[in-house]
This record gives sequence, C-alpha cells and structure tokens, in this order.
Amino acid sequence: MNTLLSDIKLVGDELPWLKEYRAAGRREFARQGIPTAKTEAWKYTKPNRFLSTDFVFDPRGNNKFTVPAVNLPFAAHKLYFENGVFLSCDDDLPSGVEILPLIEALMFRPGVKNKLGALADMTKYPFAALNAACLNEGAYIHIKAGTRLEKPLALISHVTVVDRAELYNLHHIVEIDENATAEVVEYYGYTGAPKSSYLVNIVNEITVAAGASLRHYKFQDEAFKAGHLALNTVKVAAGGLYKSFCLQKGADLARNETQVCLAEENAAAEVDAAYKMNGWATIDTTTDIEHLKSGTTSSQLIKGVVGGQAKGVFQGKIHIAPDAVKTEGYQLHKAMLLSDEAEIDVKPELEIFADDVKCSHGAACGRLDAEQLFYLRSRGIPKIEAEQMLINAYLNDVMAKVDNENIRSWIKLSLGSNLPA
Amino acid sequence: MTIPLLEIEDLSAGVDGKEIIKDFNLTINSGEVHALMGPNGAGKSTLSNILCGKQGYHVTSGRIWFKGKDLLKLSPEERACEGIFLAMQSPVEIPGVPITAFLKHSVNAIRKYRGEPELDTMEFIKMVREEGKKFNLDAEMIKRAVNVGFSGGEKKRLEALQMAVLKPDFAILDEADSGLDIDALKIVADGVNALRDGKRSMLIITHFQRLLEHVVPDFVHIYADGRIIKTGGRELAAELEQTGYAGFMKENR
Repeated sequence: MNTLLSDIKLVGDELPWLKEYRAAGRREFARQGIPTAKTEAWKYTKPNRFLSTDFVFDPRGNNKFTVPAVNLPFAAHKLYFENGVFLSCDDDLPSGVEILPLIEALMFRPGVKNKLGALADMTKYPFAALNAACLNEGAYIHIKAGTRLEKPLALISHVTVVDRAELYNLHHIVEIDENATAEVVEYYGYTGAPKSSYLVNIVNEITVAAGASLRHYKFQDEAFKAGHLALNTVKVAAGGLYKSFCLQKGADLARNETQVCLAEENAAAEVDAAYKMNGWATIDTTTDIEHLKSGTTSSQLIKGVVGGQAKGVFQGKIHIAPDAVKTEGYQLHKAMLLSDEAEIDVKPELEIFADDVKCSHGAACGRLDAEQLFYLRSRGIPKIEAEQMLINAYLNDVMAKVDNENIRSWIKLSLGSNLPA
Repeated sequence: MTIPLLEIEDLSAGVDGKEIIKDFNLTINSGEVHALMGPNGAGKSTLSNILCGKQGYHVTSGRIWFKGKDLLKLSPEERACEGIFLAMQSPVEIPGVPITAFLKHSVNAIRKYRGEPELDTMEFIKMVREEGKKFNLDAEMIKRAVNVGFSGGEKKRLEALQMAVLKPDFAILDEADSGLDIDALKIVADGVNALRDGKRSMLIITHFQRLLEHVVPDFVHIYADGRIIKTGGRELAAELEQTGYAGFMKENR
C-alpha cells in the first residue's frame, strides 16, 4: 500500500487547505499503518494479508467514462460511479435536492468544507486517513428542509475489473435538513472476470437534522477477489431518524462499519444488516451507537449465513452517556453456519453510564435444520433449493426491516433466488 | 408381466450401529393398499425413513426396487419425483416458509423432473384452496408457514393435503392417525380413500386398527422385531386388536 502515499496530483490541490487535508491523511495513514491482528478494532478481520497487495491509485487513469449498464428494478434518481469516478447524475432532480461532485461542492459551496472530516475521524480510523489522502471523488448530497423525497437516490458504484489491482476511493457527504425525508441506496457491483483484486474504500459522513429522517440501504456485491471497506459516520439531531440496512454478499474482505451519534433528545437509529458468503471471504459488520441525550433509541438486528471456510464478524457497541436517561438500545446478532469450517466471531459491547435505561444484546449461532431440510427434499425439492429456501426463511425477519417494498424485493432477489420466503 | 411397484428384498438396516430391520421382505404392486402393524419401537418409522432416503440410517444388506429402479441410489428429492410420498408421523415446523409457496415449489420441482411444464400460480393457488377445504384447512391456514403453530391434528391434515396435491404413485402414511380426534380421522381417511384409484399404492403404518376401519387395506402385515411375522387380509387387523401385540407374538413366535 506504500505506493499510495506518494504525492499524486489531484483536483483542487491548488487550494492550500485541501492540499493540506490530503497531506494530513497521508501522514495519519503512515502513522497508523494497516491494522493487524493486534489492533483491537480489527482483531477478527485482519486486513493486512489482503492489503499486502500494492493497489494502484490512479483516478481517471483508465479514462473509462461509460455509464455502467446496471439496472435497478425500482425507480430512483441515479448517480453513477465507474471504477471510483463520479460519472453522472440524473438531471431530473426534484426541487429541494442538490447533488454535486464532492470536490466541486468543497470548492464552491461555502460550509461544505466544515463538514469534511467532521464525523469521520482520520486519527482513529486508518482507512479514513487513506480516504483523506486520496480524496478526489464522491458526492455531496443535500436534501433541504421540509423536502420529502418520493424516489430514492441510488448511488451506483460499479467496477469494470481491470488487469491490475486498483484502489477506488469515494467520500460522500450527505446532509438531510430539518424535517426532510429521504431514502439513499448504495449499490456496489462489478462486471468482468474477477482476475485481479481491487479495493473500494468509502467514507460516508451523514447528518440528519432535527425531525428529519434518512433510510439508508446498501447492497455490497463486489467481485470475489475484491476488498470493500466502508465507514458510515452519522450524526442525528433531536427527533431525527437514521435507519440503515446493509446486505453484504461479495468481496474477499469486506467491512461495513457504522458509527451513529444520537446527539440530541429523542434521536433514533436502527442499524440492520444481513450477510451471506462462501469460499474464503471475511465479511465484517461493525457498529458503534452513541447515545448522548435522553429519550434516544437504537436497535440493531444483524443476521448472517456463512458457508465454506468463510468468516463472519460482528462487533457491536452501544454507548450510553451519563445524560442519556430514558434511552433504549437493543442489539441482536444471529448467524447460521453452513459448514464445519465456517467461522463466526462476535464481540458485543455495552457501555452504560446512565441509570434508567433499557438495553440488551444477544448473539446466537445455528445450523441448517436437518429435519427441515429432509422435509422439503422429501417433497421433491432439490437439496440446493431446499437449503436456499431455509436460508431465505432464516433471513426473513431481517429482510422485513427494509421498509421500501421495491427495495426489499430487489434485495431478496439479489440474495440468490425467487424462492419462497 | 408387469414389475411390482415396490420390492424390498432381504433388507437389514439400522441407526447408530444398531440393527433395527432384519431380513425384511415386502412386495407391493400397483393399486394395492398394505397395512404394516406393529408395536411401538419396532422400527416402523425406521422403515419409512429408509424408503424416503432420510440421512442417519444405514443399510447393511438387501435391495429396494421402486418401479424397477434401485431406490437406495436415489436422493430423497429424486424418490419424491419418482412418486414416493411420506406422510410423516411428526411433521417439522418450518418458520418463514409459507405453505402455498412451498407446495408450489414442490409441485413444480416434481413436474420439472418429469419434463412437464410448470403450473400457473393463480390456478395452483385456486387448486390448493379447493383441496384445502376437503381437509378442513381454510385459505388463512394455508397462507401460514409450514406446520408453524399447527395442532397435532392440523399437521396430519396438512400432510394429507400435500398428498392430495402431489398425487404420488406410492404413499406411505406413518402413524397418520395418531393425535387425531374422530372427526379429523374421518377427514384424513376420506382424503386417503379419494386417492385410491386402483393404480395408486399405499403403505399404512400404524399400531392401531382405528384408521384401518376407514381405509380398508388389501393386506395386513404384522411387524415385530425387525421383520414381518405374519401376513393376512383385513381380518388380521381385527384379530390383532383382540389379542394385543404381546398375545399375538406369543402365538406366532
């Protein structure tokens, strides 16, 4: 990864503060280095083996400016990213919605600059530092006060696999103003023979203002040799709601980390996720919910299905500050292991500094039920389909967390089939 | 000469290294209804599970021919597609899998195996609802997940409904009458009788005569200690009811 730290010329380098921001990212990434098994936050998901590859960071080096042919089976305002480059955005945006390439917003929208790095702490998260060092692409999404977005915004991030290992670096800033309502979908996919590895490194900084709500859906379906590291940092103001659902089924090494700060009274968060993989993949779901004020609530349901020699990781933290009385924080992780070599590592943490709170966490691990499997097969259903039916049934309750019906059926379909449940 | 539908030859089999079925022989021709009666723990369910290919059982010797095919070489789903159906003694609950979707998948898997086109969804649901009425299972129940929250009797009726929908060539009813009150027994028996068409064969496994009063078998086999110890007509069931297994076995050893 060291070659990444060489000083590349990037858009906006003529702005001293932006140049310095990138330099700070390089310094921080060099200082922290790639996490190893000794790094507590990364002890189950060891990225050093994967990241021993020298990934090339060469934005726009390939000059691939073709909008990828990715069809989402639901109506959306679409933003296209191809190999880490922001290509286009549908131009029929309703009033109250502003979308700009991030660097453009940083250069021309006063105030956006203050949002950069305000939530994602590059001194604590090495890949946020890497993201800062390579800050060049991303979107600035602004939903103005009172706007109720009817169609979701879809950020389609597609990779056409090339014959060298490349880094694709994206940084999105999302602002949902007072009493606005929006849905954002992130899709990560690829085409081409997955010959070489690539690494997608994403940082999202999301603010949900008082009384506003954001539903954030993500589907990670990267190539099986790819790496996918995402840090979602979210701050929710009084009475605001952040609700996310993430399905991960691709990549060799993937981590979706979500840090939510419930900063004011009655702010709420729901962070749900599902993952399903085989082979040798490691898929990590890490959450950190911080309750700062009274009346804040959070809930998390994470369910995984792990086969082959793959590994599922869940680290979930709920922190309740001394002022945060009358809060509720719930967390449940359940996994199904499909093989003897599959592995699950779970680390729940509750830090409660206030009285009068309701908190719980739980973890469970199981297998496909042999009786259920036999029952389905004895009715003529082939083994592989019977297993898929049981897996789908197992994930049914977490799928039900997806409020948008069209997005829910898309995610269910993407999970592998049109089978029942 | 037509081949028998099912031929079990000198079958010895067991579970966990323990031999339960010993040199078992049985031949069932098309259209015949056989009853296999035996005391609890004699290995009746072991036999039905082996016929359907459930894992965990081992066959130490013998062969099973179904429509002239070596049954033991087929997977459970292939056996179902060849026309074997097992109405289970204790059907498992499958949360999250709705009955209609499951049954549609099942019917279409079997049709696909046989090279037949898949059924239209609307027609299928209509058909299942019609059949459901016969087994006193209404549309609301059929929407539910497989066996979830069903009483013992409801589970048995759902097994009978599946049999009616899948129309197997050979149905095994494993203790289909246990846990049924007299009305439910009548419903299940009517459903079974409706499927007797002179071509379809059945093996009714039971330890009471109760069901056999409603579904009259062509042959009755008394099964004990891993093998059939006596075969007779329908009157054998009544005789057994009089003497009880213990008395019967004393006489027939």
